[in-house]
Amino acid sequence: MNHPVELISAYLDGELSRLEIGQLLTHLDGCGRCAAELEEMQTVRSAVRSLPLLELPGGLIPEADADVVPLHRNKGFLVGAAAAVVALVIAIAALITPAAGTVSLEELNSRYGARASLDPAFGPAKVVVPDLAGLLE
Amino acid sequence: MRRLVVFVLALVLLPAATASGAELDELLDESRDASYRAEQVITCSTPDGVRDAVIELSQAGGEMHVGAPAAPDVEVAAGSGGWALVREGSVVSSATVQGAADAPQPRYSVDDGVDTEYLGREATRYEMAGDGVVRAELIFDVEIGALLRLVTFNGDGTIYCERRFLTFDPEAAAPSGQDSVALTESAVGGVESDLPETLAGFDRLDVYQDDEGFVFAYYSDGFFSFAVFQIPSVLTIDTGFPVTLADRVYTRSFSPGQVTYAWETRTGAMAMVGDLPPDMHEEVLAGLPAPQDPGLLRRLWRSLFG
Repeated sequence: MNHPVELISAYLDGELSRLEIGQLLTHLDGCGRCAAELEEMQTVRSAVRSLPLLELPGGLIPEADADVVPLHRNKGFLVGAAAAVVALVIAIAALITPAAGTVSLEELNSRYGARASLDPAFGPAKVVVPDLAGLLE
Repeated sequence: MRRLVVFVLALVLLPAATASGAELDELLDESRDASYRAEQVITCSTPDGVRDAVIELSQAGGEMHVGAPAAPDVEVAAGSGGWALVREGSVVSSATVQGAADAPQPRYSVDDGVDTEYLGREATRYEMAGDGVVRAELIFDVEIGALLRLVTFNGDGTIYCERRFLTFDPEAAAPSGQDSVALTESAVGGVESDLPETLAGFDRLDVYQDDEGFVFAYYSDGFFSFAVFQIPSVLTIDTGFPVTLADRVYTRSFSPGQVTYAWETRTGAMAMVGDLPPDMHEEVLAGLPAPQDPGLLRRLWRSLFG
């Protein structure tokens, strides 16, 4: 086993199986570097947890008056993050996909052409010619 | 004695009436009533490059059918407030308008005309001017009054578009085998609008609305014309290019004899379609609602739900 830093972190989070814990402790017995890593992580975590909780003055940030959000991960956070990702994907897809209700140049031409046919100048001077090259494609 | 006075008055007044020159409306009306077949070439020098086309025209009874050698299966039928694009016998796009057709205040006049010859026929060439600027040169057939050649000019005198007949056959009157097509999407006129009643010398003649939610106003200065559209959805012009006029960004597309500008607004899209020369575009667009960013949420909503 090389220096399993990720396993150390998972061990502190209580995410290892009994078998994995046994293997890690065996490794720590023979690896001073990993043992030091474990000790350092424990020190940092303890220090963070021992920090006092500060209370903001009421009304400074209205949202802060709501429930305290725990630092550790929870299911609500994961669900929210997943929903945000899905929404972002839909938004990007919608923005790069032509909308169903689009209007084409031909639809404008037909209306302008219809009205122009009532114009006193209607005739070879004013007949609305479609984009024949485009129609041939 | 009374007959003598009338005769003398007629002799005096007749030359005076002739010397006052032809009326543009009369010339155009006569051309509109003419019946013929012709092949026409359209060449326009636009700020985005040359746009040209060769088309086949047949006109009778105020209705015109337009085809093209390059696209034999495609035809446009237009007249009396209707316009239809037919491809392989099926109507691809069509519209009719029902409503007022007011005449605009005359902006242009024509000179007395000069005798000339065109395609081997007797013709008269006129210059059309307004505000001291020559805007068009028109050549009409003497016998049936058809407009054989039209050159329109920019304000600086350079040519914008030329439409001229390559062939002309007044004997082939009524179009054969070209029945009137069934038109749909009828737009009703007389709609209230907040669009300006006059715009850069153009009069708003009428405003229409149809079942698809299109609201459009028709403007004319007596010769050139354009329509302004207010559309409650997204407008796509595949052939357009972005262009900036007076610090406003539009999508612009030229086709032979015609220009289209499109832009987004907070409530949808707008467009201007017309045959006016390029030097008039900026002043017209400046009098219309400016392009606006509809915002991310609105764009998202429109993209999802149209």
